[in-house]
Amino acid sequence: MTDAKKSEVLQGTLDLMILKTLHALGPQHGFGIARRIEQVSRDVLHLNEGTVYTSLLRLLQQKWIAAEWGTSDNNRKAKFYSITARGEKQLALETENWERISGVVGRVLRLEGER
Amino acid sequence: MGYGQIPRLRAFTAKLAGLFGPRRRDSDFDDEMQAHLQLLMDRFVAIGMSPEDAAAAARRQFGNTTLLQEDRRELRTLVSVEDIVRDLRYALRSLGRSRAFTAVAIATLGLGIGASTAIFSVIDNVLLEPFPYKDAGRMVFPRIHDTARAEEGERQGYTSNEFLEFASQNHVFDAVIGSSDDLVLYKNGEGVEQLYGADVTPGAFEFFGMPALYGRVMQPADYQPGAPPVFVMRHKTWMARFNGDPGVLNKIFVLNGAARMLIGIMPPRFGWFDADVYIPETPVPGPSTGFAGLPARWFLLGRLKPGVSKAQAAADANVIANHLAKINPQNFPAHFQVLIKTVGDTVVAQLEPTLYTVLAAVGLLLLIACGNVANLMLARATSREKEFALRAVLGAGRARLVRLLLVESLVLAISGAALGVLLAWGGLKSIVAAMPQDMIPAESVIALNAPVLAFTFVVSILTTLIFGLAPALQAARRDLNDPLRDSGKAVLGGFRTGRMRDTIVVMEVAVSLTLLIGAGLLMRSFVALREVHLGLQADHVFQTLLPLPADRYKTAAQVSGFFQPLLARVKAIPGVLDATESSALLPSGGGDSKIEISGKSHDNEWHAMLQNISEGYFRVLRIPFKAGRAFTETEIHDARKLAVVNETFVSSYLRGEDPFGRRVYLAGLETLADPVREPWFEIVGVVADVTNNGLQGAVQPQVWVPYTVTGSEVQALLVRSQQTPMALMNDVRQAVWATDPGVALAFPNALEDRISQQLYAGPRFGFLLMTIFGCLGLVLVTIGVYSVLAYATARKTHEIGIRMALGAERADVLRSVIKAGLRLVTSGVAIGLIVSLLLGRAIQAELAHDVKPYDPLTLAGTTSLLIATGALACWIPARRAARVDPMVALRYE
Repeated sequence: MTDAKKSEVLQGTLDLMILKTLHALGPQHGFGIARRIEQVSRDVLHLNEGTVYTSLLRLLQQKWIAAEWGTSDNNRKAKFYSITARGEKQLALETENWERISGVVGRVLRLEGER
Repeated sequence: MGYGQIPRLRAFTAKLAGLFGPRRRDSDFDDEMQAHLQLLMDRFVAIGMSPEDAAAAARRQFGNTTLLQEDRRELRTLVSVEDIVRDLRYALRSLGRSRAFTAVAIATLGLGIGASTAIFSVIDNVLLEPFPYKDAGRMVFPRIHDTARAEEGERQGYTSNEFLEFASQNHVFDAVIGSSDDLVLYKNGEGVEQLYGADVTPGAFEFFGMPALYGRVMQPADYQPGAPPVFVMRHKTWMARFNGDPGVLNKIFVLNGAARMLIGIMPPRFGWFDADVYIPETPVPGPSTGFAGLPARWFLLGRLKPGVSKAQAAADANVIANHLAKINPQNFPAHFQVLIKTVGDTVVAQLEPTLYTVLAAVGLLLLIACGNVANLMLARATSREKEFALRAVLGAGRARLVRLLLVESLVLAISGAALGVLLAWGGLKSIVAAMPQDMIPAESVIALNAPVLAFTFVVSILTTLIFGLAPALQAARRDLNDPLRDSGKAVLGGFRTGRMRDTIVVMEVAVSLTLLIGAGLLMRSFVALREVHLGLQADHVFQTLLPLPADRYKTAAQVSGFFQPLLARVKAIPGVLDATESSALLPSGGGDSKIEISGKSHDNEWHAMLQNISEGYFRVLRIPFKAGRAFTETEIHDARKLAVVNETFVSSYLRGEDPFGRRVYLAGLETLADPVREPWFEIVGVVADVTNNGLQGAVQPQVWVPYTVTGSEVQALLVRSQQTPMALMNDVRQAVWATDPGVALAFPNALEDRISQQLYAGPRFGFLLMTIFGCLGLVLVTIGVYSVLAYATARKTHEIGIRMALGAERADVLRSVIKAGLRLVTSGVAIGLIVSLLLGRAIQAELAHDVKPYDPLTLAGTTSLLIATGALACWIPARRAARVDPMVALRYE
């Protein structure tokens, strides 16, 4: 079972990843975002792709992203999400936070390991 | 990801928008997710899976859609219906478990809400929407105000000429109509009965804009010369006299000797002029005779054009009145000003302060009720700490807990409101019975209606917030761990929500004292009014108006030709002690007249009240003479120009001089339809003052003259008897009919009842309501003090047990509990006293002159009453605490 080796996505980190994706790739629809995260995480993360939509709604409510109807590559009608200025600010803030915390967590974990 | 304060607010507004926004956003998401699934499936098919396997794999990769939908709904909505239903069911179950709490809370709220609903019904029906007429707010009438006098001028009746002038020359009214009193004799079999009619000018019914209930109202054609005579009847009269028989419609009635057809019955709320019947009458220029031989007077009613203010209308009316005063200066005071009043001003002005005072009182009562329930909820919440902590630990959010408690409060408030509406419905009947009838517009029907119920609904929502929010927030703020660790029995006085409950009780006591002081002051004031000496003996006096048909009674000789035999007949009735003619029903002093006194000159106008009487007047009313004598029977018979005056007359105009031999000139007698020539009257007697200007007004100078000097005046009969006055009515009516079968009794009444209705009913109403609400407040406060102390001592049983085990005496325990309770009561009393003194000015207007808002007796009385009741409320829990058996209390551990 390869699934067992995959990590569950932490709540909150998905929001951050979506923001980052939109920041890096520009407007994307939900499916595109899911593919991008799958691709970047190189199958390490197990993503229930439906949760992307919950996350998108949350981000929309905070006005960190905006949504617009458009046409996808294969001519389907799809909703495209893009990051807002407010979202960019939040992304910078959260990225910094994340790096600091993951650094700390990493150090603590290493300490544990060295004992 | 960190969600700070601002993002939370943003999420809240988004949810709020979701509450009203289009529902299609959910289906948008569903579409997107369907598309997503499809794309995943396509990919799996592309790598060689069968469609079924591909669909399953896609679903696996996508995750649980139902769960996702719920997540989204949680994000999007404030409250879901299922949650509310769940909360509701939970609230009902939890309230059902503590029946005593629920019963006390609902009863308390019911009393508060019921009282305020009842009073608001009265206010809505009497003050806010008393008149059912079209644009009643713009219906106004002009009043001539004599600027030389402090009070507002009396004149609001106009001659036909004046009426026509106002109607045609004004620029401010859409329409002008006139109404005039018309006593109507209705021939009913052998005798005649009195109906109170109103003559109304063309356009009157169009003006009111109310169609008839049955038949039709007057139309322009009914006013044409030669049109068949018709009239319209009021609903109340139709029910009372004809049992609501529709057969009377289009029947011919003999009214004042002329045949008229009844063409319409008005709806129940039509009651203009408080008349029984409405008769079409077109004012014509020139002098005309109206009621009792007095010149016809039209009460003028105009509807302001839209956008015209009362001040603008007054300016316009002033121009017209000044023009009229130039033509007929004798009809106007030397200096005057026209005031514009709305119809609402007339009837409700007296009642308005009373009603608003009472509404304020009821609001305070409701606050006490809320305080009590809040306290009960707090106490309950404290004992439910563990339950809430457990819920929180199991994942209930703070908002969720607050909501749960608010739903409980809402259930209580709604049940309280339902009970309150029931109470108000019952209570309104007794309130209406106690209300001074003369002060309520004939049109207003006091009942629960839609605006009142809306008011109740708003009140119950507000009460929920007032009594429910504080305990809910307090309960939800708790630290999760604390209560779970705590055994639930605080040691050494430590229960944390105590201060809040104490504050509520202190506030309740303060509010209740304010109410009680208000009630006490009104009671004192009422007693003071009752003690005002009227100057006459009102018991065992029957009085009635006797309107004489104008065609047969024009001259003084004709009138005395009726009264002399009538008075002889009435005096012969067994039990009758004395009888007299009078030109006014008491307690009013008759008309006003300008006067002169021989040998006196003066700059300002002199006035006196003028009343025509026969020789028995002062004997019937037992008014004592200060000097001189009454008229003799012969003097009355000969219509001698003699006068009796009151003490105020002498002290105002003849201070320190001998009144006898002086002659008084009474200008008012010259302008009657049957005028008195050379109206100089010689003073022969001075009587003690009789109240003639209301209980609180200064007595006005008054003059009495023989009724035989003129044929035109109001005629009334006053009778002193040994039996109850109203028992005389039939005998008097027979005596009247024996003298002239065409005369009927009008407004027959017992003087004592009438005085009580006119002078005391208003203050009595205010004081009765305040007393009832003050007592309700006291009861609620007693419950409040008791419940707080009972709860506190119950929580402290353990502590008390320890103290007693360590040697505390029962008396010590008793004392300490009572002391704690009384400390709350006395703090409340102190605050209440301060508030009452500050509010004193508000109630001052309601009080008799010599009762001050800081009346020491009232303050002392109500304060001690409240402290005594408070002590009683402390006593029961204190005694229970003192009975604690240390062994039992400690064994609980």
